[in-house]
Amino acid sequence: MSFIVVRAAGLVTVQDLGRPGRMHEAIPPGGALVRDRLIAANRAVHNPDDAPAIEVLGSLVIRAEQPLRVATDTTAPRDLAAGAELTVGSEPRRVAYLALRGGIAAPLVLGGRGALLCAGLGGLIRAGQRFASAELAAINPAADAAIVPTVGPAARADGPIRLLEGPDPEHFVPGALELLVSSEYRILPSSDRVGTRLDGPALPRTAAPEASRPMVIGAIEVPRDGKPIVLGPEHPTTGGYPIIAVVAHDDLGRLFSIRLGGTVRFTAARLRDR
Amino acid sequence: MADWTPLGDRAIRFARPDRSARAIVRAVRAWPGVIDVVVARQEVAAYFDGRPRGASDWAAWATWIDALATAPDDPEPVRDIALGAIYNGPDLDHVAQATGRHADEVRALHAAAIYTVETMGFSPGFAYLSGLPAALELPRRTTPRTRVPAGSIAIAGAHTAVYPFDSPGGWHLIGSVVGVRMFGPDGPLLRLGDRVRFVP
Repeated sequence: MSFIVVRAAGLVTVQDLGRPGRMHEAIPPGGALVRDRLIAANRAVHNPDDAPAIEVLGSLVIRAEQPLRVATDTTAPRDLAAGAELTVGSEPRRVAYLALRGGIAAPLVLGGRGALLCAGLGGLIRAGQRFASAELAAINPAADAAIVPTVGPAARADGPIRLLEGPDPEHFVPGALELLVSSEYRILPSSDRVGTRLDGPALPRTAAPEASRPMVIGAIEVPRDGKPIVLGPEHPTTGGYPIIAVVAHDDLGRLFSIRLGGTVRFTAARLRDR
Repeated sequence: MADWTPLGDRAIRFARPDRSARAIVRAVRAWPGVIDVVVARQEVAAYFDGRPRGASDWAAWATWIDALATAPDDPEPVRDIALGAIYNGPDLDHVAQATGRHADEVRALHAAAIYTVETMGFSPGFAYLSGLPAALELPRRTTPRTRVPAGSIAIAGAHTAVYPFDSPGGWHLIGSVVGVRMFGPDGPLLRLGDRVRFVP
Protein backbone atom coordinates (compact mmCIF):
# COMPACT_ATOMS: atom_id res chain seq x y z
CA MET A 1 0.00 0.00 0.00
CA SER A 2 1.51 3.35 -0.96
CA PHE A 3 0.53 6.88 -1.88
CA ILE A 4 2.17 9.88 -3.43
CA VAL A 5 1.95 13.45 -2.14
CA VAL A 6 0.22 15.64 -4.70
CA ARG A 7 0.43 18.84 -2.65
CA ALA A 8 1.61 19.77 0.83
CA ALA A 9 1.24 23.24 2.33
CA GLY A 10 2.35 24.30 5.79
CA LEU A 11 4.13 22.17 8.35
CA VAL A 12 3.44 18.62 7.19
CA THR A 13 5.60 15.88 8.78
CA VAL A 14 5.66 12.23 9.79
CA GLN A 15 5.06 11.96 13.54
CA ASP A 16 4.71 9.29 16.18
CA LEU A 17 4.76 9.61 19.96
CA GLY A 18 8.28 11.01 20.02
CA ARG A 19 11.66 10.16 21.51
CA PRO A 20 11.44 10.36 25.29
CA GLY A 21 14.55 9.61 27.34
CA ARG A 22 17.11 11.85 25.62
CA MET A 23 16.48 15.25 27.15
CA HIS A 24 19.79 15.04 29.04
CA GLU A 25 21.42 15.20 25.57
CA ALA A 26 19.38 18.34 24.84
CA ILE A 27 17.09 16.35 22.55
CA PRO A 28 13.46 17.30 23.22
CA PRO A 29 10.84 14.54 23.19
CA GLY A 30 9.17 15.74 19.97
CA GLY A 31 6.31 13.62 18.69
CA ALA A 32 2.78 14.59 17.70
CA LEU A 33 1.71 18.13 18.56
CA VAL A 34 -1.63 16.66 19.71
CA ARG A 35 -0.97 13.11 20.83
CA ASP A 36 -4.61 12.17 21.39
CA ARG A 37 -5.49 13.04 17.81
CA LEU A 38 -2.63 10.94 16.39
CA ILE A 39 -3.82 8.05 18.56
CA ALA A 40 -7.43 8.51 17.42
CA ALA A 41 -6.43 8.39 13.74
CA ASN A 42 -4.30 5.30 14.35
CA ARG A 43 -7.03 3.50 16.27
CA ALA A 44 -9.53 4.16 13.49
CA VAL A 45 -7.46 1.95 11.16
CA HIS A 46 -6.54 -0.52 13.93
CA ASN A 47 -2.93 0.62 14.16
CA PRO A 48 -0.90 0.59 17.36
CA ASP A 49 -1.27 3.95 19.15
CA ASP A 50 2.35 4.90 18.44
CA ALA A 51 2.34 4.06 14.72
CA PRO A 52 3.81 6.82 12.55
CA ALA A 53 1.14 8.94 10.84
CA ILE A 54 1.17 12.23 8.97
CA GLU A 55 0.73 15.44 10.94
CA VAL A 56 -0.83 18.22 8.90
CA LEU A 57 -0.54 21.82 10.06
CA GLY A 58 -1.92 23.22 6.85
CA SER A 59 -3.15 20.99 4.06
CA LEU A 60 -2.19 17.84 2.22
CA VAL A 61 -3.42 16.12 -0.93
CA ILE A 62 -2.44 12.51 -1.57
CA ARG A 63 -3.13 10.09 -4.42
CA ALA A 64 -3.36 6.36 -3.76
CA GLU A 65 -1.07 4.22 -5.90
CA GLN A 66 -2.72 1.04 -4.70
CA PRO A 67 -5.94 0.53 -2.73
CA LEU A 68 -5.47 2.06 0.72
CA ARG A 69 -7.31 2.17 3.99
CA VAL A 70 -6.88 5.52 5.72
CA ALA A 71 -8.47 7.61 8.45
CA THR A 72 -8.01 11.00 10.01
CA ASP A 73 -8.54 12.00 13.61
CA THR A 74 -11.96 13.40 12.75
CA THR A 75 -13.25 11.21 9.92
CA ALA A 76 -14.27 7.57 9.75
CA PRO A 77 -11.89 5.09 8.09
CA ARG A 78 -12.33 4.79 4.35
CA ASP A 79 -10.92 2.84 1.44
CA LEU A 80 -9.23 4.68 -1.39
CA ALA A 81 -9.07 3.04 -4.81
CA ALA A 82 -5.85 3.24 -6.79
CA GLY A 83 -5.68 6.71 -8.36
CA ALA A 84 -8.14 8.25 -5.91
CA GLU A 85 -7.16 11.50 -4.26
CA LEU A 86 -7.78 12.59 -0.68
CA THR A 87 -7.46 16.08 0.79
CA VAL A 88 -6.65 16.51 4.47
CA GLY A 89 -6.80 20.02 5.93
CA SER A 90 -6.24 21.05 9.49
CA GLU A 91 -9.03 23.68 9.43
CA PRO A 92 -11.03 24.48 11.52
CA ARG A 93 -8.38 23.27 13.95
CA ARG A 94 -4.62 23.80 13.87
CA VAL A 95 -3.67 20.21 13.17
CA ALA A 96 -5.02 17.02 11.60
CA TYR A 97 -3.59 13.50 11.39
CA LEU A 98 -3.73 11.09 8.48
CA ALA A 99 -3.22 7.46 9.44
CA LEU A 100 -2.57 4.70 6.94
CA ARG A 101 -3.57 1.14 7.75
CA GLY A 102 -0.34 -0.54 8.97
CA GLY A 103 1.35 2.78 9.81
CA ILE A 104 3.59 5.00 7.67
CA ALA A 105 6.92 3.30 6.92
CA ALA A 106 9.72 5.48 8.30
CA PRO A 107 13.22 4.63 9.58
CA LEU A 108 13.80 4.30 13.31
CA VAL A 109 16.34 6.99 14.30
CA LEU A 110 17.28 7.68 17.93
CA GLY A 111 14.28 5.73 19.14
CA GLY A 112 11.61 7.41 17.02
CA ARG A 113 10.28 7.51 13.48
CA GLY A 114 8.91 11.02 13.39
CA ALA A 115 10.48 14.25 12.16
CA LEU A 116 12.41 16.28 14.73
CA LEU A 117 13.21 19.34 12.68
CA CYS A 118 15.40 20.97 15.35
CA ALA A 119 17.72 17.93 15.24
CA GLY A 120 17.69 17.61 11.46
CA LEU A 121 15.73 14.34 11.65
CA GLY A 122 13.17 13.81 8.89
CA GLY A 123 11.87 16.92 7.21
CA LEU A 124 8.91 18.75 5.81
CA ILE A 125 6.84 16.63 3.45
CA ARG A 126 6.83 17.91 -0.13
CA ALA A 127 4.89 17.16 -3.31
CA GLY A 128 6.18 14.06 -5.10
CA GLN A 129 7.21 12.17 -1.96
CA ARG A 130 5.96 8.60 -1.76
CA PHE A 131 4.92 6.84 1.43
CA ALA A 132 4.27 3.15 1.98
CA SER A 133 2.57 1.22 4.73
CA ALA A 134 4.83 -0.27 7.39
CA GLU A 135 2.44 -3.26 7.42
CA LEU A 136 2.24 -3.23 11.21
CA ALA A 137 -0.05 -5.93 12.55
CA ALA A 138 -3.62 -4.82 13.22
CA ILE A 139 -4.59 -4.35 16.82
CA ASN A 140 -7.58 -2.86 18.61
CA PRO A 141 -10.02 -4.79 16.40
CA ALA A 142 -12.92 -3.40 18.43
CA ALA A 143 -11.78 0.19 18.20
CA ASP A 144 -14.09 1.27 15.39
CA ALA A 145 -16.70 2.54 17.79
CA ALA A 146 -16.64 6.15 18.88
CA ILE A 147 -13.16 7.41 18.15
CA VAL A 148 -13.19 10.61 20.14
CA PRO A 149 -9.97 12.39 21.05
CA THR A 150 -9.84 12.71 24.80
CA VAL A 151 -8.65 15.88 26.39
CA GLY A 152 -8.66 14.82 29.98
CA PRO A 153 -11.56 13.88 32.21
CA ALA A 154 -11.89 17.22 33.97
CA ALA A 155 -11.64 19.43 30.90
CA ARG A 156 -14.63 20.79 29.05
CA ALA A 157 -14.19 20.90 25.31
CA ASP A 158 -14.57 24.67 25.24
CA GLY A 159 -13.50 25.61 28.76
CA PRO A 160 -10.44 27.67 29.59
CA ILE A 161 -7.03 25.97 29.47
CA ARG A 162 -5.86 25.11 32.97
CA LEU A 163 -2.51 26.49 34.17
CA LEU A 164 -0.30 25.53 37.06
CA GLU A 165 1.42 28.54 38.58
CA GLY A 166 5.15 29.08 38.69
CA PRO A 167 7.90 28.07 38.89
CA ASP A 168 9.53 31.52 38.55
CA PRO A 169 7.23 33.96 40.43
CA GLU A 170 10.16 36.21 41.42
CA HIS A 171 10.53 37.14 37.74
CA PHE A 172 7.04 38.64 37.46
CA VAL A 173 5.42 41.75 38.81
CA PRO A 174 2.56 40.88 41.21
CA GLY A 175 -0.64 40.58 39.22
CA ALA A 176 1.02 39.20 36.07
CA LEU A 177 -0.56 35.75 36.46
CA GLU A 178 -3.95 37.37 37.14
CA LEU A 179 -3.52 39.34 33.92
CA LEU A 180 -2.74 36.13 32.03
CA VAL A 181 -5.82 34.29 33.31
CA SER A 182 -8.20 37.24 32.96
CA SER A 183 -7.29 38.14 29.36
CA GLU A 184 -7.96 36.68 25.96
CA TYR A 185 -4.90 35.74 23.89
CA ARG A 186 -4.67 35.11 20.18
CA ILE A 187 -2.61 32.28 18.66
CA LEU A 188 -0.09 33.95 16.35
CA PRO A 189 0.54 32.57 12.85
CA SER A 190 4.29 32.45 13.61
CA SER A 191 3.60 29.51 15.96
CA ASP A 192 5.25 26.20 15.14
CA ARG A 193 6.19 22.91 16.78
CA VAL A 194 8.78 24.67 18.95
CA GLY A 195 6.46 27.27 20.43
CA THR A 196 2.95 28.62 20.28
CA ARG A 197 3.19 32.40 20.33
CA LEU A 198 0.43 34.38 21.97
CA ASP A 199 -0.68 37.94 21.35
CA GLY A 200 -2.46 39.77 24.13
CA PRO A 201 -1.63 41.86 27.18
CA ALA A 202 2.11 41.86 27.87
CA LEU A 203 3.02 40.21 31.17
CA PRO A 204 5.22 42.56 33.22
CA ARG A 205 8.52 41.13 34.41
CA THR A 206 10.80 42.17 37.25
CA ALA A 207 14.50 42.89 36.79
CA ALA A 208 15.52 39.46 38.14
CA PRO A 209 18.43 38.19 36.03
CA GLU A 210 17.80 35.42 33.52
CA ALA A 211 19.48 32.03 33.95
CA SER A 212 19.43 29.01 31.69
CA ARG A 213 17.02 26.55 33.33
CA PRO A 214 15.31 23.26 32.45
CA MET A 215 12.21 23.63 30.27
CA VAL A 216 9.12 21.44 29.79
CA ILE A 217 6.41 21.09 27.16
CA GLY A 218 3.55 23.42 28.04
CA ALA A 219 5.78 25.89 29.89
CA ILE A 220 4.63 29.48 29.26
CA GLU A 221 7.87 31.40 28.94
CA VAL A 222 7.90 35.16 28.83
CA PRO A 223 10.60 37.07 26.89
CA ARG A 224 11.39 40.65 27.82
CA ASP A 225 8.61 41.98 25.58
CA GLY A 226 6.10 40.23 27.86
CA LYS A 227 4.42 38.26 25.05
CA PRO A 228 4.00 34.66 26.23
CA ILE A 229 5.20 31.59 24.30
CA VAL A 230 3.87 28.10 25.11
CA LEU A 231 6.58 25.52 24.50
CA GLY A 232 5.70 22.68 22.13
CA PRO A 233 7.16 19.21 21.49
CA GLU A 234 10.37 20.54 19.86
CA HIS A 235 11.17 23.01 22.65
CA PRO A 236 14.78 23.66 23.71
CA THR A 237 15.48 21.57 26.81
CA THR A 238 16.93 24.62 28.57
CA GLY A 239 16.10 28.28 28.19
CA GLY A 240 16.66 31.64 29.80
CA TYR A 241 13.18 33.16 29.73
CA PRO A 242 11.27 32.80 33.01
CA ILE A 243 8.19 30.59 33.17
CA ILE A 244 5.03 32.21 34.53
CA ALA A 245 2.95 29.01 34.47
CA VAL A 246 2.77 25.56 32.89
CA VAL A 247 -0.25 24.23 30.98
CA ALA A 248 -1.85 21.21 32.68
CA HIS A 249 -0.71 18.12 30.81
CA ASP A 250 -4.26 16.98 30.04
CA ASP A 251 -5.07 20.35 28.43
CA LEU A 252 -2.06 20.52 26.05
CA GLY A 253 -3.94 18.81 23.23
CA ARG A 254 -6.84 21.21 23.49
CA LEU A 255 -4.55 24.25 23.44
CA PHE A 256 -2.49 22.98 20.51
CA SER A 257 -5.69 22.19 18.57
CA ILE A 258 -6.78 25.83 18.44
CA ARG A 259 -6.29 27.15 14.92
CA LEU A 260 -3.81 29.92 14.18
CA GLY A 261 -5.58 33.23 14.65
CA GLY A 262 -7.99 31.66 17.13
CA THR A 263 -8.27 32.77 20.72
CA VAL A 264 -7.64 31.11 24.04
CA ARG A 265 -8.43 31.82 27.66
CA PHE A 266 -6.64 30.38 30.66
CA THR A 267 -7.62 29.57 34.21
CA ALA A 268 -5.43 28.95 37.25
CA ALA A 269 -5.56 25.41 38.57
CA ARG A 270 -4.00 23.81 41.60
CA LEU A 271 -1.88 20.74 41.95
CA ARG A 272 -3.55 18.22 44.16
CA ASP A 273 -1.49 15.98 46.40
CA ARG A 274 0.75 18.63 47.78
CA MET B 1 15.36 18.75 53.44
CA ALA B 2 15.92 19.68 49.84
CA ASP B 3 13.49 22.14 48.34
CA TRP B 4 11.87 21.60 44.97
CA THR B 5 9.21 23.22 42.86
CA PRO B 6 6.62 21.73 40.49
CA LEU B 7 7.30 22.34 36.79
CA GLY B 8 3.70 21.76 35.73
CA ASP B 9 2.02 18.52 36.75
CA ARG B 10 4.52 16.09 35.22
CA ALA B 11 7.91 17.43 36.26
CA ILE B 12 9.75 18.90 39.24
CA ARG B 13 12.74 21.24 39.42
CA PHE B 14 15.35 21.55 42.15
CA ALA B 15 18.83 22.98 42.83
CA ARG B 16 21.68 21.06 41.22
CA PRO B 17 23.45 18.93 43.82
CA ASP B 18 27.23 19.16 43.94
CA ARG B 19 27.72 16.02 41.85
CA SER B 20 28.78 15.30 38.29
CA ALA B 21 26.07 15.60 35.65
CA ARG B 22 26.45 11.92 34.81
CA ALA B 23 25.97 10.84 38.42
CA ILE B 24 22.85 13.00 38.68
CA VAL B 25 21.32 11.70 35.44
CA ARG B 26 21.99 8.11 36.42
CA ALA B 27 20.49 8.50 39.91
CA VAL B 28 17.42 10.49 38.89
CA ARG B 29 16.57 8.15 36.02
CA ALA B 30 16.33 5.36 38.59
CA TRP B 31 13.53 7.18 40.46
CA PRO B 32 10.08 5.61 40.03
CA GLY B 33 8.18 6.99 37.06
CA VAL B 34 11.00 9.19 35.74
CA ILE B 35 11.44 9.17 31.96
CA ASP B 36 13.75 12.14 31.45
CA VAL B 37 16.25 14.36 33.25
CA VAL B 38 17.71 17.75 32.39
CA VAL B 39 20.80 18.93 34.23
CA ALA B 40 21.29 22.66 33.77
CA ARG B 41 24.06 24.72 35.36
CA GLN B 42 22.25 25.43 38.59
CA GLU B 43 19.12 23.33 38.41
CA VAL B 44 17.90 19.85 37.60
CA ALA B 45 14.48 18.80 36.31
CA ALA B 46 12.99 15.32 36.52
CA TYR B 47 10.18 14.41 34.11
CA PHE B 48 7.60 11.73 34.88
CA ASP B 49 5.57 9.47 32.62
CA GLY B 50 2.40 10.47 34.39
CA ARG B 51 1.17 12.57 37.22
CA PRO B 52 3.09 11.53 40.34
CA ARG B 53 0.57 9.50 42.28
CA GLY B 54 -0.52 10.37 45.79
CA ALA B 55 0.78 12.67 48.48
CA SER B 56 3.37 10.19 49.71
CA ASP B 57 5.13 10.25 46.32
CA TRP B 58 5.18 14.03 46.28
CA ALA B 59 6.56 14.18 49.81
CA ALA B 60 9.15 11.55 48.95
CA TRP B 61 10.94 13.67 46.36
CA ALA B 62 12.72 15.80 48.95
CA THR B 63 14.23 12.64 50.42
CA TRP B 64 15.27 11.41 46.99
CA ILE B 65 16.83 14.78 46.18
CA ASP B 66 18.77 14.77 49.46
CA ALA B 67 20.16 11.36 48.57
CA LEU B 68 21.65 12.75 45.33
CA ALA B 69 24.38 14.43 47.38
CA THR B 70 25.97 11.00 47.80
CA ALA B 71 24.94 9.50 44.45
CA PRO B 72 27.61 7.14 43.13
CA ASP B 73 29.54 8.15 40.05
CA ASP B 74 28.70 6.56 36.74
CA PRO B 75 30.97 3.49 36.54
CA GLU B 76 31.54 3.95 32.82
CA PRO B 77 34.93 5.57 32.24
CA VAL B 78 35.01 9.19 31.09
CA ARG B 79 35.58 9.47 27.34
CA ASP B 80 38.36 11.59 25.87
CA ILE B 81 37.36 13.39 22.69
CA ALA B 82 39.76 15.32 20.46
CA LEU B 83 38.19 17.75 18.01
CA GLY B 84 40.16 19.03 15.05
CA ALA B 85 39.92 22.81 15.02
CA ILE B 86 40.67 25.79 12.81
CA TYR B 87 40.82 29.10 14.65
CA ASN B 88 39.50 31.43 11.98
CA GLY B 89 36.19 32.62 13.42
CA PRO B 90 34.73 36.03 12.59
CA ASP B 91 35.00 37.16 16.23
CA LEU B 92 38.61 36.06 16.81
CA ASP B 93 40.00 39.56 16.42
CA HIS B 94 37.29 41.04 18.60
CA VAL B 95 38.00 38.45 21.32
CA ALA B 96 41.72 39.25 21.09
CA GLN B 97 41.04 42.95 21.43
CA ALA B 98 38.52 42.55 24.27
CA THR B 99 40.84 40.27 26.26
CA GLY B 100 43.93 42.37 25.53
CA ARG B 101 45.80 39.57 23.79
CA HIS B 102 47.12 38.71 20.39
CA ALA B 103 44.93 36.42 18.27
CA ASP B 104 47.66 33.77 18.40
CA GLU B 105 47.50 33.83 22.19
CA VAL B 106 43.73 33.35 22.08
CA ARG B 107 44.21 30.32 19.83
CA ALA B 108 46.93 28.88 22.05
CA LEU B 109 44.98 29.44 25.26
CA HIS B 110 41.81 27.87 23.90
CA ALA B 111 43.63 24.87 22.41
CA ALA B 112 45.73 24.20 25.51
CA ALA B 113 42.79 23.74 27.88
CA ILE B 114 41.05 20.47 28.65
CA TYR B 115 37.29 20.87 28.85
CA THR B 116 34.46 18.90 30.42
CA VAL B 117 30.85 18.63 29.20
CA GLU B 118 29.13 20.20 32.19
CA THR B 119 25.56 20.49 30.89
CA MET B 120 23.68 20.07 27.62
CA GLY B 121 20.86 22.31 26.45
CA PHE B 122 19.77 25.07 24.06
CA SER B 123 19.65 22.85 20.96
CA PRO B 124 20.01 19.09 20.37
CA GLY B 125 23.54 17.97 21.24
CA PHE B 126 24.73 21.44 22.33
CA ALA B 127 27.35 20.81 25.05
CA TYR B 128 28.40 23.50 27.52
CA LEU B 129 32.12 22.88 28.03
CA SER B 130 33.62 24.08 31.30
CA GLY B 131 37.34 24.71 31.68
CA LEU B 132 37.69 27.85 29.56
CA PRO B 133 40.80 29.78 30.68
CA ALA B 134 39.69 32.74 32.79
CA ALA B 135 41.66 35.06 30.47
CA LEU B 136 39.12 34.29 27.70
CA GLU B 137 35.94 34.95 29.68
CA LEU B 138 33.73 37.54 28.00
CA PRO B 139 30.03 38.39 28.21
CA ARG B 140 27.88 37.32 25.24
CA ARG B 141 27.58 39.51 22.19
CA THR B 142 25.16 42.37 22.73
CA THR B 143 23.35 41.45 19.51
CA PRO B 144 22.96 37.72 18.82
CA ARG B 145 23.48 36.48 15.29
CA THR B 146 20.36 35.13 13.58
CA ARG B 147 22.40 32.33 12.05
CA VAL B 148 25.55 30.66 13.34
CA PRO B 149 26.88 27.88 11.06
CA ALA B 150 26.97 24.31 12.37
CA GLY B 151 30.45 23.39 13.60
CA SER B 152 31.33 26.87 14.88
CA ILE B 153 33.55 26.94 17.96
CA ALA B 154 32.28 29.64 20.28
CA ILE B 155 32.98 31.13 23.70
CA ALA B 156 30.82 33.06 26.17
CA GLY B 157 31.07 33.53 29.91
CA ALA B 158 32.99 30.66 31.46
CA HIS B 159 32.13 28.23 28.63
CA THR B 160 33.09 27.14 25.17
CA ALA B 161 30.90 25.10 22.83
CA VAL B 162 30.50 23.86 19.28
CA TYR B 163 27.18 24.62 17.57
CA PRO B 164 25.79 21.25 16.36
CA PHE B 165 23.29 22.85 13.95
CA ASP B 166 22.84 26.11 12.10
CA SER B 167 20.99 28.19 14.67
CA PRO B 168 20.71 31.66 16.12
CA GLY B 169 23.43 32.36 18.68
CA GLY B 170 24.93 35.03 20.86
CA TRP B 171 28.39 33.56 21.55
CA HIS B 172 31.70 34.77 20.11
CA LEU B 173 32.78 32.64 17.13
CA ILE B 174 36.51 31.92 17.23
CA GLY B 175 36.78 28.96 14.85
CA SER B 176 35.24 25.78 13.57
CA VAL B 177 35.71 22.06 13.99
CA VAL B 178 37.14 20.07 11.11
CA GLY B 179 36.12 16.69 9.81
CA VAL B 180 33.42 15.91 12.36
CA ARG B 181 29.66 16.25 12.60
CA MET B 182 28.54 17.20 16.09
CA PHE B 183 25.20 15.41 15.64
CA GLY B 184 24.75 12.27 13.56
CA PRO B 185 22.48 9.25 13.18
CA ASP B 186 23.64 7.97 16.58
CA GLY B 187 22.90 11.29 18.27
CA PRO B 188 25.25 13.89 19.70
CA LEU B 189 29.03 13.44 19.39
CA LEU B 190 29.56 14.91 22.86
CA ARG B 191 27.94 13.51 26.00
CA LEU B 192 27.76 14.64 29.59
CA GLY B 193 31.07 14.15 31.38
CA ASP B 194 33.21 13.84 28.24
CA ARG B 195 36.72 15.36 28.40
CA VAL B 196 37.27 17.43 25.29
CA ARG B 197 40.34 18.95 23.65
CA PHE B 198 40.63 21.09 20.55
CA VAL B 199 43.49 20.19 18.23
CA PRO B 200 44.56 22.93 15.80
